[in-house]
Amino acid sequence: MTEPGVTTDPDGPIPIRSALRFLRALRGGLDGGQSLSSSLTGAALVLPREARESLDAVGRRLSGGYDEDDWGYDEGFADAALPFLEFMYDRWWRVHAEGVERVNAHGRALLVANHAGIVPWDATMMGVALMREHPLPRPPRFLVLNWAFQLPYISVAMRKLGGVPASPFNAIRLLEQEELVAVFPEGVKGAGKSYRDRYRVQRFGRGGFVEIALRTGAPIVPVAVVGSEEIHPKIGESGLLARLTGAPYFPITPTFPLLGPLGVVPLPSRWRIEFCDPIDLSEYGPDAAANRATVLEISDRVRDVIQGKVYENLVKRRHAFA
Amino acid sequence: MPGRRILITGIASYLGTELARILEADSRVEYVAGLDTRPPGEHLERTQLIVADIRDPEISGLIPPTEVDTVVHNQIVRRPGPGMSARRAHDINVIGSLQLLAACERTPTLRSIVVRGSAGIYGSEPAAPQFFTEEMAHLYPLRTRFQRDVGEIENLFGTYARRHPDVVCTMLRYQHSIGPTVKTEITRYLSLPVVPTYLGFDPRLQLVHERDALEALVAAVHQPVPGPVNVAAPGTIGLTRMVRLAGRPTLPIPSPLFGTAAEAGKRVGALDFSPDFQRLLRYGRGIDVSRLVGEIGFSPRHTTVSAVQDFVAARAEPVAA
Repeated sequence: MTEPGVTTDPDGPIPIRSALRFLRALRGGLDGGQSLSSSLTGAALVLPREARESLDAVGRRLSGGYDEDDWGYDEGFADAALPFLEFMYDRWWRVHAEGVERVNAHGRALLVANHAGIVPWDATMMGVALMREHPLPRPPRFLVLNWAFQLPYISVAMRKLGGVPASPFNAIRLLEQEELVAVFPEGVKGAGKSYRDRYRVQRFGRGGFVEIALRTGAPIVPVAVVGSEEIHPKIGESGLLARLTGAPYFPITPTFPLLGPLGVVPLPSRWRIEFCDPIDLSEYGPDAAANRATVLEISDRVRDVIQGKVYENLVKRRHAFA
Repeated sequence: MPGRRILITGIASYLGTELARILEADSRVEYVAGLDTRPPGEHLERTQLIVADIRDPEISGLIPPTEVDTVVHNQIVRRPGPGMSARRAHDINVIGSLQLLAACERTPTLRSIVVRGSAGIYGSEPAAPQFFTEEMAHLYPLRTRFQRDVGEIENLFGTYARRHPDVVCTMLRYQHSIGPTVKTEITRYLSLPVVPTYLGFDPRLQLVHERDALEALVAAVHQPVPGPVNVAAPGTIGLTRMVRLAGRPTLPIPSPLFGTAAEAGKRVGALDFSPDFQRLLRYGRGIDVSRLVGEIGFSPRHTTVSAVQDFVAARAEPVAA
């Protein structure tokens, strides 16, 4: 049996000679007063086809030839990031996703999940699960802790992958545009959870996500994520460093900040993501959003579903890192 | 029905002159007057010029005799130009509006006021709603001098509108305009040989094409609605993409040093970024235009991206010719 992944490339790996030819042509273009993007495109002509195409794409991006939607989601960027995210999904965390088909293929829906850590790895993995295993894949938008949008690079990467600042105005607008929106109602309490409290789903804020679902008539899809709460085991925090960096909290893990940038590499735990049955709220009507009791009751119901499914999946997973 | 009688303040600016030209050609408009301290650079057919300073109380004697039914307030200084102090800009913005309203009070023929205000009132915030609607003006504190000016102007006109229910007061909140002719902070920015950016930031910007900016003003004159209305092109553009479309090299500066670099650039006269513009370059801003489309009935022809492309194409032409 032949391995489907292994095919022989007619051009083979780029030989040194063509790499040198490319550099010479690039240099010629730049010395001739052309811009970097047009020199790249010109020089790419001496390369084998596949390399040429990817360089063309780089050249197009450098001259602004790419699209971002109104929210700043950049499909080209997301496509380019997908192989890396798929590596994290398949190899690093060995994610097992269940119930993906329970997410509606068309129209609005609010995905509500448990959460840990500042970097929303859980949101990106939910995105990969939906893109790969849903019969009609579409990328979800996810609401990100506001603080992340003050950070260089991280803010840009978030936005280009579909992240949006966590404001109810943004969530409502996205749902009215029939988008799939992922929220993490634990908020900072979830992000700052210590390792001891992992998988204890925190209070769901003031139930703002329920108000949003009621007002927009979007069904709530509870999502239980197991694995994400072991990737950065927080054993303490530093108030001083939090004040200095302006962060909502400053985590201390066995590797961070001890190992510096290496410390932000997430641990390779084993993950399970379960998409639960959607909760249809249309019987309440949009006016129920103003009713505190109803909102808190639904919020608790969703929290209970997620907590139950988290425990169930923890048992099914058996070992965290095996 | 008698024709409209319209007064435009800031007639010497590009937008003021062009607006007068369009209204002159409109058969529904009987009379056009223009107020400014200097005559416009280009000739106008039938506009009566009133050469006066908007801060001068004498305008209370000059405006009522024109018997206008509409005042278009187009004299808000977005950024003090060369040789204009911040103090003078503030005076023109706030005292000018105050004197204009005093003159309006003495003009019994008045039916509507259209103000070309600014979306700067929303500010630029890292975690803001990605599309501000008109009721979200006070979500964040007014951080800069210009924002406080705009806040004060909006208050003045808001109070006037409450006291004079028979006068419709439209507050247009404009994003920065761009186009082949206008000179704004954005066009100056994109004309720099090297464009400074915040290292690691790529904010969403939203602009409006100069023609759309003008026609929105015309539409508001014919269909004034009470209260604030956002004016911008649909859609947004990432700063990086905009700069790349303009074919400019960037100079990314780490954010803690940006203010110092801008200050140094100002001292050597190379660039002059207002605090508002610096925040915009870091965090961007988007606004919702459904009120403009739905209530004033004006749909901009250009998107933000096509407005930038039009600006870039016009830049490229002289080289080819």
